[in-house]
Formats: sequence, C-alpha cells, structure tokens
Amino acid sequence: MRSEAEIREQLRTFVRHHAGGVDITDDTELFTLRVLRSVHLPELIILLERLRGAPIDVEQLRIGDFDGIDAMMARFGAVQP
Amino acid sequence: MSALATALAQVSQTTDRLSRLSVRAHQNPYTLVDWPSAVDPERDWFSTPEYVSLHGTAVWAGLDDSARRRVAFHEAAGFYSLNIHGEKTLIQGLAARLYRSDLAGSAGYLHHFLDEENKHSVYFGGFCTRYARVHRSRQAPWRTDRPRDVDDFLFFAKTLIFEEIVDHYNRVQARDARLHPLARFINDNHHREEARHLVFGRRLVTELWQAADWDQPTAAEIRDDLARFVTATWREYYHPDVYADAGLGDPWELAEAAWSAPDQRTHRRQVSADCLRFLAVAGILTEEPADAF
Repeated sequence: MRSEAEIREQLRTFVRHHAGGVDITDDTELFTLRVLRSVHLPELIILLERLRGAPIDVEQLRIGDFDGIDAMMARFGAVQP
Repeated sequence: MSALATALAQVSQTTDRLSRLSVRAHQNPYTLVDWPSAVDPERDWFSTPEYVSLHGTAVWAGLDDSARRRVAFHEAAGFYSLNIHGEKTLIQGLAARLYRSDLAGSAGYLHHFLDEENKHSVYFGGFCTRYARVHRSRQAPWRTDRPRDVDDFLFFAKTLIFEEIVDHYNRVQARDARLHPLARFINDNHHREEARHLVFGRRLVTELWQAADWDQPTAAEIRDDLARFVTATWREYYHPDVYADAGLGDPWELAEAAWSAPDQRTHRRQVSADCLRFLAVAGILTEEPADAF
C-alpha cells in the first residue's frame, strides 16, 4: 500500500501536468479556481483508485471532494474499512 | 433563436430523411432477441480477441485460450456497460433539449434519437444483467455553468466522439464470425442504428462549429475539453473491474500497464483515426488529443 506522501506526490504530478503553469499548493481550490475542470475527473478518479487500490463510487461524490489535494487526501487518501 | 435551433433548421432535410428511416427500422427490443438461458464464457468468444484491451500485453500472451475467452467475455460486459453509461448521459441530454422552447420544431428527430438510445440500452443491459453485471463508470455527471450554446455544442460533439469509437468496435465485432451469435447481433444491431446517429452528429456538429462566434479563449477551452474527452473515453476501455471479474490479479496496475502498452496505443490511434480526421477537417480539433495515445 502506498504511503500518504507517495499518493500526494502523484496527485501533485497529475495536477501540475494539467495546470498549464499555474502555481499550486496542496490547499489550492483546484475546481473552484478552474485549474481543473469536470472533464479531468474520469482520469483523476482512475488515478485515485489505483493509488488507494480500491474503487470509488462516483454516484456518491461531490465536486468539493476533489477541490484540492488536501481535500482529496481527506476523502480518498486511505481505503475506508 | 439559439445556435442549436438554427443548426437543426439547417440540417432539417437530413433529420427528415433519418426520421423516415427510423420509422422504417422501428423495432421491439423485448421480442427481437431470443436470450439463451446461459452462456459459456470459456467456450465462446464474446469480443474480438484483437480488440480486447489486454491484447498485445505480456499478460495476454501468458493466458491460455480459455482464459483469453473468459477475459473477452467480461470485456464484452465492460464494453456494453460503457455503452449503457454513455447512452444514459445521452438520454439525459436529449431529454433536456426535447421541447426546449427554442427547439420545439425539431422534436420529431429528437424523439427518434432518444427512443433508439433507450432501446440500445435494453440490449446492453439485457446481456449484462443476465450473464455478467453492469460495470460502473468514472464519468461524473456534474453540471457546469457554461453558456448554453457552448453546452449544446459540447454535448453533441462529445456524443459524436463517443459513438464514433463505439461504432468502430461494433462494425468489427458484427462481422467477426468467431463471435457468439448473440454478441454479433448486439454489435450489428447497434451499428445499424448508430449509422443514422452518426450522419446526424457529423452534420449538426459541423453546422454548430461553423456558425459559432466564440472568442479565442472559449474556443481553446472547448478544444481542450474535447481532447480530454477523447482520452477519458478511451480510459473507460481499460476497466480494473473487468480484469478482476476475469480472475486477473492486481487489476489497477494491469489497467495502467495495458493503457501504456505500445500495441494498445497504436490500436487507439487507429480506431480514433476517422473521428479525429473529421474533427480536424471541420477545424474543431487542431492537434492530436494529449495523452490519448
């Protein structure tokens, strides 16, 4: 199982790849500030599933769950028991 | 008058003709198929082996024939599932535009389109619920606050991209004599129906794009959205749940490895070629979608 640091680093890499040169930190509100848009979500969800090794139920999601690396870690960082 | 209403008026001769064809091809999905009581995933092919998402990978090379057929069976359920989810989004979008105040004159063809998409899902769902399961999608259905004309264009352009890729698989698998007759029927029937939708989609998307008067940042964002959609659509073909159902280990890593495999990159580029050529000739996409290949 990946550590929190590894998961954060891969999320940062994903966000930087799509951010178009915008400076981001772990608490940058990625969707509120339109650094990412809804069209990025399927790939983001696939990445999160792979990093945590467990599925994510898209029918139970809110956009706020993805609005920053901190927010994603809080919601998806660890597989729920 | 909205841009969509104007474009639909421009293509009205096409939609009138397609409506007549739809009436002639009208079918009852509840009586047309004689569903077998059971199928044997390790005896029959349900997907064209060369179109299985693991084809060309080391894992595929290491499987015996019955294991390959088993993977191809679950991949068929995965393919039908992504059709179900794509059609669900399409049905929602069509229903939202049906009898919209500016589109009332175009309701006739929208009724056919919506009706036919629902019927396709009856076939896809019929297979998945009888013999496998409906796999989940990662396409999150969130609303956006874009202007209506941008939303209308993106809706029909994404629909076209999705249907063009699916139709390529349908055409190949409908003709593949190795496949179980049920798999061939589902693919063939979908292809025959989608042929009308693709004619409509190409004409409408061209009209909408040519008439659009978007500023450069808006056009750039639309192009980026469509390019990302191509990638996201293809990602759905590499489904960890499908691999898990087929008995393969470490399904998320397997999905990532298959996505990155050179043979699979080539396959995606070949299957997408017609669609991307259309989008390029229409001036909609000016470069190849990043990350898709």
